[in-house]
Amino acid sequence: MHPPRIRIVPLATTCHSCLLLRLRPPPLLPLTLVRPSTSASQGRANKGAQGPGKRLGAKKAASELVVPGNIIFRQRGTHWYPGENCAMGRDHTIFAKEKGYVTYYRDPETHPKRKYIGIVFQRGEKLPVPRNEPRRRRLGLVGKERELSTVATDPPTTAENQNSEVGDLVNAQKILKSQIMVARWKLPTTKNVELRPGYQYRESNWSIGRTAEQANVKVREYKRGDRFLAWRKLNARKARNAERRALGSRQNKGKGKKR
Amino acid sequence: MALPTCTIRPALQCLWRAQALGSGSIPSSRSFRVTTSRQDEAAIETTKFDTPPPRPSELDPNTVSNRLQEQYLLRITGLHPIGSRRRRAALKSSDHIPFEQMPYQCFQEARKVLQEDREEKLEKITEMRRRIARWQNVPAEECGGEYVKKGKLVRMQKHLEELKILADINDPVIKKRFEDGMGDMNRPIYRHLANKKWREYKRLLLMQRISQMHIVPDILSHIDPTAEVSLGFGRRTVQPGEFVDSRVSERPARLKIQVFNKGERFVSIAVMDPDVPDEKRDTFSSRCHFLAVNIPISPTSTSVPLSKTDKDSQIIYPWLPPYAEKGAPYHRLAVFVLQQDKPALGTDGKEDVESLRTDFGPRRELFSIRRLIQQRRMDPIGIHLFRSKWDEGTDEVVQRAGIDGFNVEFGRRKPEKGLYKKKDGARYR
Repeated sequence: MHPPRIRIVPLATTCHSCLLLRLRPPPLLPLTLVRPSTSASQGRANKGAQGPGKRLGAKKAASELVVPGNIIFRQRGTHWYPGENCAMGRDHTIFAKEKGYVTYYRDPETHPKRKYIGIVFQRGEKLPVPRNEPRRRRLGLVGKERELSTVATDPPTTAENQNSEVGDLVNAQKILKSQIMVARWKLPTTKNVELRPGYQYRESNWSIGRTAEQANVKVREYKRGDRFLAWRKLNARKARNAERRALGSRQNKGKGKKR
Repeated sequence: MALPTCTIRPALQCLWRAQALGSGSIPSSRSFRVTTSRQDEAAIETTKFDTPPPRPSELDPNTVSNRLQEQYLLRITGLHPIGSRRRRAALKSSDHIPFEQMPYQCFQEARKVLQEDREEKLEKITEMRRRIARWQNVPAEECGGEYVKKGKLVRMQKHLEELKILADINDPVIKKRFEDGMGDMNRPIYRHLANKKWREYKRLLLMQRISQMHIVPDILSHIDPTAEVSLGFGRRTVQPGEFVDSRVSERPARLKIQVFNKGERFVSIAVMDPDVPDEKRDTFSSRCHFLAVNIPISPTSTSVPLSKTDKDSQIIYPWLPPYAEKGAPYHRLAVFVLQQDKPALGTDGKEDVESLRTDFGPRRELFSIRRLIQQRRMDPIGIHLFRSKWDEGTDEVVQRAGIDGFNVEFGRRKPEKGLYKKKDGARYR
């Protein structure tokens, strides 16, 4: 490392230069000396460290047994695509959809550039399945005995049977229509609906207030000093509260009770 | 729109009323008729407005253009209106002048060109026919072998068919007749138009459903439909791949098979279900729901109700109503139309029902359509499909059909345990 070069101008030279110097004073030396850096200190320079490894790659090797949900391959992006009986997760992880044996394969007829991971049901089977062969499917269900819902009665007549769907629909429509008719017929007697201020299409308040009376709802008459009734009401309320508290204490079990 | 429309658009109102009368006396058509003075015409129109509108029974299916009147027409006479409503409305106000008398000079010149083209094509057709007849009489050695002669004749025949279509393809009357559904399927031009129309949308949809539902390769390894098959139960028509209620599909389906090449032929019809749960093998097997052979069809006789097929001479497996087990995935039902006579084989195309019965046995579960096609050299020309799932009516249908072993409900299998059992300690030392 050489010390930085500093130009020192001689003070007295020729007569000619003296004249110049007198006209323009010599520049002063800088107070601080700058040393240019030889290695970057900012930016992405010293952040080269990659962080912890993400444990990517194959979790199950070829012809290894997997069950539904087993992770077969972890990856960033789609190096591998899900093939038969496999699926791809949110982070492109390939996982098993069926119990079977893992196969890594290519399927040039579907996609010439992709690599696939699939699952076969028998060890040693090959993928892809030839295009003209039926798919290999697994039922994956168990049968349980049950009661048949209805016992067959006499077979319906041909005309009805041919349009059984239509017939049902027509019947349903008829019933609905009659119900609507009944409702329409009843509506004006039960409700005095009218257009009220503020575009409210409703019953007036006085008619709502008389609903109970119209429906013959009987309410006990209020007596001013009926202590017996008050006492019964009080007891009922107390019982209700006790019950509620008991329920609450069962819910708060284990938290401890203040004493 | 505070004002009534009549005050805003009197001209439009006038037009509508004139159309409703069914008269062609709209001012726009004045140029075609024997000229009358403007004042006279106005007088005529005003008097005509007073006549009452036509009664529904007098409505013409060619010119009904009002929704209400269409409904009347259908209800009272049972006739469907012809063509689009726009077209009918246009027809109502037209004067029905034949093309030859149309006053447009350019139009008439264009017609002449088309007619000349047609004459030319007809000449070519007669010429081609003559040549074919001549070549058929020439001995094979002179042409350079039987194979060469045959190829030549086939090519000439193909060219002849093309010419037949080209002769009529520009004819507006033929286009109209086809669009009205009045086309005669014995003529090549109408078959060509129908085929084109089918391939434009319906066939594309069918092919999409076939691939989506894996009919190919689950049932057949390949199919290239050339005939339009439509399927229905009673009044209900079924779109390809639709779910059909088990009560609806209890009765045999009715098919409409439209072929687009000429001639009568025999077809077989097979209905296959590839989704029968097989619990023992933990997979799915297939079952034949219907098989009939020797069904004659042609471009004009298209209707094939499966209930009308003959029990002795045609049916091998009678109709078994489609059903799906409770809890099992849906069943696909594919209807195949298999053409029996391959022209190369030179037979009359009829199959021997007895030999088929012995070959394919009484068990529907063992029937394989691949084997039938391979053994009997059949050609799958048409396909249709629908789906079936368990519903409230299935139990009744099954009991009525006398199928046993249906009292099963499928459920999920419990996951196996012990797959990740800890291995013996010796391994870890």
